[in-house]
Amino acid sequence: MIDDTRLIELINISKSFGDTHVLKNINLYIRRKEFVTLLGPSGCGKTTMLRIIGGFESADEGQLIFDGKDLSSVPPYKRRVNTVFQKYALFTHMNVFDNVAFGLKLKKPEELLPGEKKPTRRQIKEEIKRRVMRMLKLVKMDAYAKRGVDQLSGGQQQRIAIARALVNEPEVLLLDEPLGALDLKLRREMQLELKSMQQQLGITFIYVTHDQEEALTMSDTIVVLNAGEIQQIGDGKSIYDEPNNAFVANFIGDSNILEAVMVKDYEVFAAGRSFECVDEGFAENEPVDMVVRPEDIMLVGEDVGMLTGEVKSVLFKGVHYEMFVEAAGIRWKVHSTTMYPVGSRVGLTVVPSNIHIMHKMADEDAYVGVPIQKSEAGQ
Amino acid sequence: MKRSYFSGPYALWMILFTIFPIVFVGLYAITVRNETANSLYAGLKNISEIFANKGTYMKVLWRSITLAFECTLICLFLGYPCAYFLASKEFAKYKTLFVLILLPMWMNFLLRTYASMGLLERNGIINTIVTSLGFERLDLIGTRGAVLYGMIYNYLPFMVLPIHTSLKKMDRRVIEAAQDLGANPLRVFYKVTLPLSVPGIISGITMVFMPSVTTFAISGLLGSGNFMLIGDVIEAQFMQANNWNFGSALSLFMTALILLSIGLLNRLDAGKNSERSEKW
Repeated sequence: MIDDTRLIELINISKSFGDTHVLKNINLYIRRKEFVTLLGPSGCGKTTMLRIIGGFESADEGQLIFDGKDLSSVPPYKRRVNTVFQKYALFTHMNVFDNVAFGLKLKKPEELLPGEKKPTRRQIKEEIKRRVMRMLKLVKMDAYAKRGVDQLSGGQQQRIAIARALVNEPEVLLLDEPLGALDLKLRREMQLELKSMQQQLGITFIYVTHDQEEALTMSDTIVVLNAGEIQQIGDGKSIYDEPNNAFVANFIGDSNILEAVMVKDYEVFAAGRSFECVDEGFAENEPVDMVVRPEDIMLVGEDVGMLTGEVKSVLFKGVHYEMFVEAAGIRWKVHSTTMYPVGSRVGLTVVPSNIHIMHKMADEDAYVGVPIQKSEAGQ
Repeated sequence: MKRSYFSGPYALWMILFTIFPIVFVGLYAITVRNETANSLYAGLKNISEIFANKGTYMKVLWRSITLAFECTLICLFLGYPCAYFLASKEFAKYKTLFVLILLPMWMNFLLRTYASMGLLERNGIINTIVTSLGFERLDLIGTRGAVLYGMIYNYLPFMVLPIHTSLKKMDRRVIEAAQDLGANPLRVFYKVTLPLSVPGIISGITMVFMPSVTTFAISGLLGSGNFMLIGDVIEAQFMQANNWNFGSALSLFMTALILLSIGLLNRLDAGKNSERSEKW
């Protein structure tokens, strides 16, 4: 499905607004027909990155390569890229049809009708109508062609914004948190629809979001950003299972992150005891961050666990219970389908392959907001 | 206590300073004073007077309307680019420029018009420069152009302000969306910026056309009395001829005309909106 050719390349891209470094030396390539998600908290630079690709901002340093050519000085209206804006930015003075037809009406006749020698006005009009209606059908809005856009609901406006961009058959579609304003149910529906549209049309999607679940659902590749720097690039599974650092582990999914020491290969010391693990290649006694996902902790009888603790709180989350268990001076978040009442003594167990060891982050700033637990014996 | 009580003072104000005067103007307009008998009687003589008199008043009215029309048109063509640049990203940081546009409005308009006289007079500043350069003295004051200039000078800010506001509050993303869809800067302007600023243009036109069609004093001072406008005639009826009845009839007629033109303008605006649901 995904081509191996690099369609877009960002080389050493940096950007500042005043004193704030929004992007610091970004290097990234995006392949043809890939669904790439730029994921990160607000202010991490993801939207700026998208706007640089769209041509609405220019990078202070670095190169933007599109299909082998430097795109840095090409204005937005000449780029083969279309954008779905965060708040849709529909043309309120036009109806749905005219909104979607906007881009097509600006195309040269020979682009619209490559077969015709000298297409008449009528032919052009018919062709535009055909393409617009086909696109409106794809987003299930063909019944609304003559409506004013301000008469539409948020979800409908969203579909029009997507149709308006896609009808131009761009090589790349940029989406800036397009589902942010929709309610959860509609959002999930649209996620699946967007994904199937992308596969059906074979267009490269670059999608910006701060919602990790959305990223995991749709993407071929996720780029995790924080404070203007790329933290990790990979598919959803590898980012979830093998986070590069504490920031990624915290941002993608729930996790227990604690300071630990890598005693030697396959042995880590944390929370007052040694754990067997599957990681290797660290220096002896190297301080590391250790992550255990809440669903990977098994609650067992008091005497048979690796650690013993007391259940401090229980929340019912629908599919599972979320419990906080205090053991060895650490509050462990545990997800389990079996409920243990508050105050009961339990044992905690984790299998070696579910313990993930990460290098300490080089940049102290990157730890801001990441709840890392210090274990007494960790240091 | 009922919330509507708070509107009391405003209602009183409206009754005293809007409703009453209009009623009085109406009453004056349909009554005729018989000088010899010193009595009043109702009649439409004042109204018919407007159309009689070999069309003198109609000529003045026509002159007022054409001058106001020209003034509005020129204000639009001068004011739109001005508002556009002031609202643009590059100029937005120069707040002083905006203040400079507004600054003349802080002064009394008669003062401004007297100052304009000083510019345009036979021995005024412009002619001093022109003659010192060796050219012939220009006849500026007392011309139609001078009156038009005075009106434009006075009313231009009323065109700039509403257009500036409508451009300023326009969502930048909409402009970006148009660029994104392949529109070059010129097309972005014609297809998006201009249509979205139509409300500003309409209120600019209203705010310039209305005062300029009823303008007075400017024509007297800069036109040297050669270009009587309907505002001057009305003023003269009250101040010199002491014929309040005819003056009232004229201003009632004027008010009706203005209401009619606003109605037309609004219909034009509304028509634009309903049109989009029908056309493809």
